[in-house]
Amino acid sequence: MKLLTHNMLTSKCIRGVNVGYPLSINASDVRVADVDFNPDFISRMIPKIDWPVLYNAVERLGHVEDLPKETPVNYESNEDFLKKAHHALLEVEIIHGELVCPESGRKFPINNGIPNMLLNEDEI
Amino acid sequence: MTSLQTPLYNLSEFPLVYEPAEDTHLFLDALEKDMDNLLQIKPVTICEIGCGSGILITALASIFKNTCCYFCTDINPQACLATKNTALLNKADIECVQMDLTSCLKAQWRFDVIIFNPPYVVTEENEIKGNGLNRAFAGGKKGRIITDKFLKSLVNILSDNGVCYVLFLKDNILVEVEKIMQQNGFCSTVIMERKIPGEHLYICKFNKKH
Ligand SMILES: C[S@@+](CC[C@H](N)C(=O)[O-])C[C@H]1O[C@@H](n2cnc3c(N)ncnc32)[C@H](O)[C@@H]1O
Repeated sequence: MKLLTHNMLTSKCIRGVNVGYPLSINASDVRVADVDFNPDFISRMIPKIDWPVLYNAVERLGHVEDLPKETPVNYESNEDFLKKAHHALLEVEIIHGELVCPESGRKFPINNGIPNMLLNEDEI
Repeated sequence: MTSLQTPLYNLSEFPLVYEPAEDTHLFLDALEKDMDNLLQIKPVTICEIGCGSGILITALASIFKNTCCYFCTDINPQACLATKNTALLNKADIECVQMDLTSCLKAQWRFDVIIFNPPYVVTEENEIKGNGLNRAFAGGKKGRIITDKFLKSLVNILSDNGVCYVLFLKDNILVEVEKIMQQNGFCSTVIMERKIPGEHLYICKFNKKH
């Protein structure tokens, strides 16, 4: 699972959970993949990203390196920044671990890079 | 015209995953037919619900490459694994999460392209249970239980200029769906249909009215 995906997920589908976001991460196997960089794509994605959530997630995984805490102004033309954002969003991947609902503590296992967010009927 | 290749896949290790069939191929043909329109909206986020073998989203990834990100869901854990495997075989980069439709996506998230080849067979309601191969087919009443639930959420997951493609069977009574979607602020167009022995299939495209 990429951190871009983490940015999109919530556990609000659990009965009684209001926001369920952001999910906490416990990772036991993290890999860094090599993904083709496309500055235009990344700069179109930035407005959709909850940056503090991304920042905290990469920090949690120990891959924050020199990612800025906030998106810089005029990021569209800042290739250096876009490369760092690309790395954080697409290259850092959780292979095994779990996501944890911030409200209920419900754990969602991640195996082979696939989070299991399926709920039992009595949780919905 | 941009041609859409059928991706490589191998389901030998995934016996509980829906094997691409006539419906899947009709879907590929419809996407190919509508490709100029798809290219025109310049999507950045593409999502498939019920990815099964993963060949539909992988085919799109082979066209849009690194101009988009690809996300998909399936309730069947083997389908998620199979999709990851198909992506790998075709050097595509696809994210897959096991979940019911898009129920675990945050409210503000939108996709530019959404595709769904749903479980569309008319069955007893109680056949919609578990998360095995039966979930590839079992559609309950009118074969529409899952499709209707999905379409109800569409307004919140499709971006304003986005497009959504869904497969229907004649038994699903598409005119009913089109009427409901019309009331919900969508335009619909059947972009391809095909009669095969025992089934009459349609690919319907939905987009938000402006
Ligand atoms: C007809 S198969 C299509 C598979 C593949 N997309 C294809 O075209 O060959 C339907 C798929 O939807 C999945 N599915 C059924 N209900 C679902 C739900 N509520 N949420 C997510 N996936 C679902 C099934 O597990 C199955 O893989």
